Amino acid sequence: MKSAVTTVVSSADAAGRFPSMSDFESVKGSFDRAKSRLEAAEKLASCIDKFTNLAVDAVYQNSSYEQANKDKCVRDIHHYLRLINYCLVTGGTGPLDEWGISGMREIIRIQLLPTAAYVEAFMFIRDEIKINEVMSQQAETEFKGLLDYLINALA
Amino acid sequence: MLDAFSRKVVSADAKGAAIGSEDLADLRKYVSDANKRIDATLAITQNVSCIASDAIAGMVCENTGLTQPGGHCYPTRRMAACLRDGEIILRYVSYALLAGDPSVLEDRCLNGLKETYIALGVPTSNAIRAIEIMKIATVAIMTETNTGRKMFKGINSGSGAQCQDIAAEAASYFDLVIEALS
Repeated sequence: MKSAVTTVVSSADAAGRFPSMSDFESVKGSFDRAKSRLEAAEKLASCIDKFTNLAVDAVYQNSSYEQANKDKCVRDIHHYLRLINYCLVTGGTGPLDEWGISGMREIIRIQLLPTAAYVEAFMFIRDEIKINEVMSQQAETEFKGLLDYLINALA
Repeated sequence: MLDAFSRKVVSADAKGAAIGSEDLADLRKYVSDANKRIDATLAITQNVSCIASDAIAGMVCENTGLTQPGGHCYPTRRMAACLRDGEIILRYVSYALLAGDPSVLEDRCLNGLKETYIALGVPTSNAIRAIEIMKIATVAIMTETNTGRKMFKGINSGSGAQCQDIAAEAASYFDLVIEALS
């Protein structure tokens, strides 16, 4: 799975050489950012149910979607937030790409689900929920970056 | 290929749970030890030819028949192949140590290694002995119990005594190689 370290190791291995000084530098760079990423992951893990329910409630409030699907929507939003938690841990978009985005369009289309509902829910989490009450600003930036990435992929 | 971070992700995904505080403690340690880990990896990369050639020389000294006509390290072409393999194994151990996870070593080096050696007629017992010597040498350099130049001299990321954990981790990767060949 793609992360700063595995990228470096793959390219060193492809060339058959030992890790070089520039490889160490780039690994070091990713470790420097790791602190805020891990904080965001930790706080997201503890608020994941709360964020999910707030977002789904907000989306279903205007009753333009069938209430019968609400449980499934909760499940999916929770799933995507969990993948974002994984991405925060690895420091790359690998988990979202591999388990959440590839093939997603096909699955959503075949089940006739409205992607707009997902987008709305994630935009609600990004814009309406006061994320900075639970995590620091750097952590919030990391989290919102991934939310944006997912929204773009869904839209 | 996985690293310490993605290993946690894969195991959390199997449970369908988000990664919370408990699992993050290990990763925080990995991040806070980053400088020591990088220096320990450097200890391997800067001493590759020394570690590998000592190990092969030690293996031959203990079993001098190897370099006699009919031995497995005769002629020099086969001895050179042996040195090359020692360096390759060290290279994969250095990758695993940097990543904090043995998957790269297992997938790209150990998978099928024993079968290859058997097919080529390489005596695995001698190969294992060479790897044992490499393990001892690597741990000695990382923990500064070696004779000669000390690893942390002139750099201030830590000391040999503080590198015990990482040296033990490196030793576990050599053990995986030994296990794969046994």
